[in-house]
Amino acid sequence: MQVTKPVAELCTLLVDELHGELPSRIFSTLVNKGRSTLPQLAQYTSMTPRQLRHGLAVLVQHNLLYHHLDPGAEFAFYEANVEHAYNLVRTGKILEMVDTSFGPAAKDVMQSLLLSGQTRIGDLLAAYQAKIEQANKKVGTNDTEEFDGEANGVNDDSKNEPVVKSTAHLNSILCRLIEAELIDVVHDKTFESPADVLKIVEKEVMDKYFPNGVKGNKAKAEFQQRIAEGLRKVRDESKSLKRKLEQNGSAAKRRKLFSGLGVATNGSGAQQDEEMDPALDPKQVIRVNYEKCLVDLRNRRLVQFATDMFGETTAYVYGILLKLLTKDIPRCRLDPVLDSVDDDDDDDSKKKGPGVVTTDQILDNLKTSVDLSLGIGKAERHQISSRAANKVQTHPPKKKRLIAEAEVDGEASEDEKEDDESSEGSDYDSNYEETKPNGASGINGANGVTHERRMDRPTQLRQHLMLLAESTQNFVRHCGPNEWTVDFEPVMKALREAELDSVIERTSGRQGLRLVRILRAKGKLDEKALPNVALMRKSELQQKMLEMQTAGFVHVQEVPRDVKADVKKSFFLWYCDVEKSLSRLLETSYVTMLHCLQVLEALRRKEKDVLQTTKRTDVRGREKDAMRKEYYERYARFLACERKLFAQVMRLDDLVSVLRDF
Amino acid sequence: MATENAADDSAKLQILKDALYEEIRQHGSETRLFTQKDLLDLNIIPNNNVMLLVKVVQGLCNDKLLVGTTNHHAGLAWRWRSREEAKKYLSLPNDETMMVYSIIDEAGADGIWNRTIKNKLNMHESVVKNCIKYLESKGYITAMKNVEHPNKKMYIKASLRPSERATGGPWFTEGELDTAFIQELEGIVFEYIKTKSAYRGSQPQPASAPKRGAIVGELRGTKRAAADITNDDSTAAPSSRNSKSFRTVFLPMPAGYKHYPTVAEIAKFIHDTGITNNTTLGEADIQQLVDVLHYDGLIEPVRVNRRKGYRVTRAMRQDTVPFHKRQKDREAGIGLDQPLVVGAEPLSNALTEAPCGRCPVFDLCEEGGPVSPSNCVYFTKWLDLEDVATAAAPVASLPP
Repeated sequence: MQVTKPVAELCTLLVDELHGELPSRIFSTLVNKGRSTLPQLAQYTSMTPRQLRHGLAVLVQHNLLYHHLDPGAEFAFYEANVEHAYNLVRTGKILEMVDTSFGPAAKDVMQSLLLSGQTRIGDLLAAYQAKIEQANKKVGTNDTEEFDGEANGVNDDSKNEPVVKSTAHLNSILCRLIEAELIDVVHDKTFESPADVLKIVEKEVMDKYFPNGVKGNKAKAEFQQRIAEGLRKVRDESKSLKRKLEQNGSAAKRRKLFSGLGVATNGSGAQQDEEMDPALDPKQVIRVNYEKCLVDLRNRRLVQFATDMFGETTAYVYGILLKLLTKDIPRCRLDPVLDSVDDDDDDDSKKKGPGVVTTDQILDNLKTSVDLSLGIGKAERHQISSRAANKVQTHPPKKKRLIAEAEVDGEASEDEKEDDESSEGSDYDSNYEETKPNGASGINGANGVTHERRMDRPTQLRQHLMLLAESTQNFVRHCGPNEWTVDFEPVMKALREAELDSVIERTSGRQGLRLVRILRAKGKLDEKALPNVALMRKSELQQKMLEMQTAGFVHVQEVPRDVKADVKKSFFLWYCDVEKSLSRLLETSYVTMLHCLQVLEALRRKEKDVLQTTKRTDVRGREKDAMRKEYYERYARFLACERKLFAQVMRLDDLVSVLRDF
Repeated sequence: MATENAADDSAKLQILKDALYEEIRQHGSETRLFTQKDLLDLNIIPNNNVMLLVKVVQGLCNDKLLVGTTNHHAGLAWRWRSREEAKKYLSLPNDETMMVYSIIDEAGADGIWNRTIKNKLNMHESVVKNCIKYLESKGYITAMKNVEHPNKKMYIKASLRPSERATGGPWFTEGELDTAFIQELEGIVFEYIKTKSAYRGSQPQPASAPKRGAIVGELRGTKRAAADITNDDSTAAPSSRNSKSFRTVFLPMPAGYKHYPTVAEIAKFIHDTGITNNTTLGEADIQQLVDVLHYDGLIEPVRVNRRKGYRVTRAMRQDTVPFHKRQKDREAGIGLDQPLVVGAEPLSNALTEAPCGRCPVFDLCEEGGPVSPSNCVYFTKWLDLEDVATAAAPVASLPP
């Protein structure tokens, strides 16, 4: 992640928002000045070492800081962890995601973990123990309250009754989250910055295997491999708890044994389950694993993308597919050093791609309430080329350098495959006339052939999957008979482009989008050739192009005709550099997020008197009654604005995630 | 005797001329070039007498029935010209006019710029002007406009229609890009593709369909007990199957659908409806139109087997109001502000909705600068604080 000025300011503001001013000041100094020792920090910030230690402790607690102590050195170096600082913005999203896929109790645990930073399991247990006891006491003394709480429903019960019912329950939740890799273990290397880790590993490898230095290509390759191995070992250390759990047999397996006996799996019946989970070592320190959270967030974004492109039902199927597929994917983007060397190893299927999911697996995980017949149009059987629909693509699409070339490429391969289908192709012309009214009138769909239409559920499911596979966005690849996989790179590329397109369309109109897409398809194009392709008036076109050039969506290159480089005679070639536009878009998003937070800051200054009133102990909690009417209105309005701005920042983060992390 | 001989010769020459001219006309169009050998091979000139041929050809050239040209491969060659045209030439008063006319004639359907005429003939401007005036008054040539060079004064033979290159093809009317026509046609083509490539069906209101963050499915999907399943069905299933609130939507066609309209089909449809009564649109023209729609992101090409058809993008989000109804509304003056090509609502993201995404002074905006987030008027408007800014000031002065 590149730390630019807006990113630095943004992260500082985020730290300020969540952890207060002292840590944020130290963080900002560290971001601006780079690695510093304690005395240096004292000099930069003119704070006392005591204050600094306090601030640093908070930052370290929340993993917003790397520190590194060279052997024999007097002072440790501190370095800002900008990634994690940025991740603070995702807190809400992660909680919601955990809520929907693991339930409110897990959300509660996750929330405590996010609030308190890295925590020892023992401490967490103790905290919850206290909470539960307090709640029990309350229940014991006040029966009516408990009754109220139940009547209000599930949402409200956090006040009256803890969502986490017992420490065993907590233990079981933690086990689930650890198995899902959403939580991992903190070890001493997690506090070192990646660069330091690399250096340490390099040194170890040097000392151990190459005491005489690395000479020759072969040795170099081996050196690289050893380093990758070392790094992987460091990375796997944080998965130690998960491995331990897996040795005991994962929860999924154990549950399978029980489901045969008809034991209900959630609610009260979960008791057995909890007892089955091994007690976690209370001395282990755990934290939220943002990398895995991002994988799940990416799934959500892709589902939303599929919803936009096709519809809810298809997207739902896609969501299930993604969930099954990404269960074992630890991160969105593979690390070039860590993950490349595996190729020569045996299990390439696991490392190289996300694996495959079969139709039956998806079918098993679909909710029974979902009606799969929705969301896809109906067509007569002879209107469908089942061969084309069922086409299997065993290999992921090749990297496309030139779009035009790739298109030709695709054609050729298709031609080869479907030569033998010419007989089928020829007969559709004859019956085309009869079947014409299919989509236009809808009459055909309403009567007559319904008996044929009743498809069984697997067929319906396949239809959705094939639709996804056929899409231009490459949502899904049909990689074997009844086997499906997702090539994330092309899908994400399509998604990124869609985001860019929507920004272009919203700011420069449909014609702007048209011009950009023409350039994307054709490469560089002379100014004179553009109007013919775009069917636009020259003057309008020039204006639009200039507008988009200032916005950074298109770029121009001047090619002189001769040495004199006469401007009048030069060619002007327009082109569109998607990468450049995307990085500019990313930067714009950062700045916009920053602006949102700054506006909020300004609002707070403006409403200072009101906000100070609300901080008074006699007002807090009963603002509506304690405050004067105008004051309360102002307060309510401020809260609404705050909500709006935070929501906006969250949504901007959606864009940033798509552009940067997924 | 000598005079008689000469008269006899000229008569013979005349016969030969006529015979040769007729024969040449039989052997090819006006653009074909005949070399000396070609002419001799026509077997009109007795004994392949070259001198005689020269005389005959010279005579025909004088009559403007043959035009001499030099050709790179064959050297000197001739092509024929119709008698009417030749008559026009012969009726011209002087050589200058004739030269100007011939140069315009040669330019053909592309027309020629008056400056080019002047430069080619190396004549004085006034002479060229006079000639052009004369020719125009006679109705032999007319002025024309070229879309590529709208400011140049061009001339063309009156009997010819300007070429596609000069007029810009069917999309231009009188040298101007006819955007209204194009948009209207785009609308029709889009509507055609939409109805042909998507299924018009009904769908229960999205409330009963899974919501958009749809990974809701619990981890326990496979391990659900029997009691749970029946429970699930009785509560959720009716809501999706018997719900009464249906809406019409376009649905995507199943994969492998073979009848996505191709360009040829669209062209045929446009032709059959006869919407473009005085312009003929070829497949290439329609292709151009379809490409534009593709670039607009409204449709996308699909290749099923070897058939390249087009389908509408994001079918579910398309407007289902039938075309004729919208057209009627338009005539009645409703929805005139909507684009003619009604595509799906473009996707949006946070950036396009925040004021910053469209801020004209975005690059200048910075805390501490003249324009800053804290004094941003757009944000104030966006947050609905406009009235507050004025109203809040007096309130703020009141004691708490």
